[in-house]
Amino acid sequence: MSETQKIKLMSSDSAEITVDRDVAERSVLIKNMMEDIGEQAMVEAIPIPNVNEAVLNKVIEWCVHHKGDPPATNDDDADSRKKTTDIEEWDQKFMQVDQEMLFEIILAANYLDIKALLDVGCKTVANMIKGKSPEEIRKTFNIQNDFTPEEEDQIRRENEWAEDR
Amino acid sequence: MVRSRPNMLETSTSTSASSSSSSPERAAYDDDTDFFTAQRNDSESSIGVASLRDMTMSPSREREYRVSPISRLPPELLIGVFTKLSSSMDLRSCMLVSKTWSRNSVDLLWHRPLCNTWQNLESVIKSIREPGGYYPYHALVKRLNLSNLNDRVNNGTVKPFMHCNRIERLTLTGCVQLTDEGVCSLIYGSRSLLALDITGLNSTTDHTLRAVSENCGRLQGLNITDCSKVTDDSLVEVAEHCHFLKRLKLNNCSLVTDESIMAVAHHCPYMLEIDLHNCRQISNVSITALISHGRQLRELRVGHCHLLTDAAFLDLPKNLTFESLRILDLTACHHLHDEAVERIIETSPRLRNLVLAKCREITDRSVIAITKLGKNLHYIHLGHCAQITDTAVVQLVKMCNRIRYIDLACCHRLTDQSVKQLATLPKLRRIGLVKCQSITDRSILALAKATTVDPRPKPLTQSLLERVHLSYCINLTLQGIHALLNQCPKLTHLSLTGVQAFYLREDLISFCREAPPGTFSFTKVRDRMVADKKTEFTEHQRHVFCVFSGEGVNRLRNYLNESPETLYDTEGTMYDDRDGEDMDTDHQVAGLMHATGLNDDDDDDMDEVDGGDGSQYELEGER
Repeated sequence: MSETQKIKLMSSDSAEITVDRDVAERSVLIKNMMEDIGEQAMVEAIPIPNVNEAVLNKVIEWCVHHKGDPPATNDDDADSRKKTTDIEEWDQKFMQVDQEMLFEIILAANYLDIKALLDVGCKTVANMIKGKSPEEIRKTFNIQNDFTPEEEDQIRRENEWAEDR
Repeated sequence: MVRSRPNMLETSTSTSASSSSSSPERAAYDDDTDFFTAQRNDSESSIGVASLRDMTMSPSREREYRVSPISRLPPELLIGVFTKLSSSMDLRSCMLVSKTWSRNSVDLLWHRPLCNTWQNLESVIKSIREPGGYYPYHALVKRLNLSNLNDRVNNGTVKPFMHCNRIERLTLTGCVQLTDEGVCSLIYGSRSLLALDITGLNSTTDHTLRAVSENCGRLQGLNITDCSKVTDDSLVEVAEHCHFLKRLKLNNCSLVTDESIMAVAHHCPYMLEIDLHNCRQISNVSITALISHGRQLRELRVGHCHLLTDAAFLDLPKNLTFESLRILDLTACHHLHDEAVERIIETSPRLRNLVLAKCREITDRSVIAITKLGKNLHYIHLGHCAQITDTAVVQLVKMCNRIRYIDLACCHRLTDQSVKQLATLPKLRRIGLVKCQSITDRSILALAKATTVDPRPKPLTQSLLERVHLSYCINLTLQGIHALLNQCPKLTHLSLTGVQAFYLREDLISFCREAPPGTFSFTKVRDRMVADKKTEFTEHQRHVFCVFSGEGVNRLRNYLNESPETLYDTEGTMYDDRDGEDMDTDHQVAGLMHATGLNDDDDDDMDEVDGGDGSQYELEGER
């Protein structure tokens, strides 16, 4: 039985994090880099310049938990699209973070190319939107309404049909 | 330095190539990949508002990020979130949040405007016509489906959509008031059209199809079922100009001849599915050409093409096999013999679905040839192939143990021996034995995997059977049916028309579903409009109709389990003479036999209406 290979990642704030290679390779970006640089990656820390230590640790936590997940098939994909609100319990808990962290995780998942995590992130935000009025959404995310009342009224009118369903 | 190390200058808001990983929720039913790409272009260029994509972070932006963390998401990730919203109501709310949110959600909302009610349609039209609209809505519509309102839509209704030139899927199923004028107004300039469905628009002519050939060079799916005025003149042009055609349905287009089909065979190399059901002028040369040229052809349906003979298949080039062909429907091609079937199996070893219903000439020899398909065969319809015997069916089951669906209606030579063998199929879900009059409770108990008539469930041997057609299997008893019900928890359809044990049992028939009406109608099947067959039911046929489906199956099962006395005490309930009719046994049996003769095909036609044998024609474009 061979030891699990370890590699080192360097966060944007210069923290070095040691992680199992197969865990890190949930990230397509890191996986491709490993293929490109080969053995050198065993020695040097791989810089992840867009992600700080706190976020990187969080992302690694997710990757560790989902280490054994089977690779997504097209079937799974179609399925997950039908039931958007469905997020598995562990992931729901994992995503119970403040908004700053939530969006950092989404950005990191996008940058590191971890599709399943990005998906969970987007679903989490979508669930925060569902069923809310525009004003409630603005409140939830602290968004400034930059429409004039006339513009808002016009858009409301022109999209009246979308009220049903 | 290693080339692929990330650039230190990139900020976390930079666009990664992976950003399109989540596909649009509302497009999930059909997978067009073109949408998301277009989406991103739209959000950046066509609306022309600067995106949050600065490379360096200004202090004001930093402040914005702190106040509202979601503002850190670049447009493509915001769109990624919006694609997870399936309700147009939620998308509309997003459109009203802020300008950034608005321009990143508008394309998703208008991708497929909801035209499910007349009021919605009017509202959509109003916005499309509005010259001073906040967005150029007409350019955002990619899919238009008016089939839900098909009884009201006319040429005037669709006019306002004439400027929607980016439509990719146009579904006008059953909008019978539309004529060439209306359809053409939608088609002119629609260079992006991928799929067109004008099923049932029987006043459209070559004019419409000529417009298609002149405008829609990218067309991949065309369904003109029941457009009976269309001729070769325009179809040949479509074949010549729409090289990318993959799916073509010409059901009941009675004027279409070999000329059209030969053109399709020669000009459309990507053809995947072609349905020529009831195109009665089609002859052998078409079929030979379609199969030998269409190396990707997956599905060929030529039911009721009466001119076909064995030569259609015997003339296929020697030493070629057609590995793509999965589905072949030869319903009622009366002139086919065993030679043709043998050749079909030889050239198409990967057939999964084979329909030979009403190919009355075929014998056990064909069935023995079919056994060569082995595990590939999932679906076989041999209804009305009355020459088939137990020997062949037993052999078929032994060799093709992945069969999920089998129909042997009216194969009257079959006995319990066949059914006992069929019962061993581990994946069997649907079985049709209509009018296999020799079969007895022994067959039913075998299907139920029960050894006695004891109706108590045996959970260890639960059956996968979902649909069982036993109409006119006159020897079956209530006890057998009861055991079947208890052993098949997944049963959703059970047809027992003409089964004596159920005749006049008002208590049992109360769980039965309504006999279908005899008129032509459109029904909704899996969100698609499907044209039912024209089945005229006489009063008598409606009277004997006995089909349990859905909840009715469960209610029948519960009733029998709760009232065992009615189960075994048949004398008291079988003869119900409340109506004062003469109900002695002789009459009753005579009545049943009369019905048997009368509606030779009706029960399995019924099964077709509700999808029992899969011969329903789904209307669809490019999937």
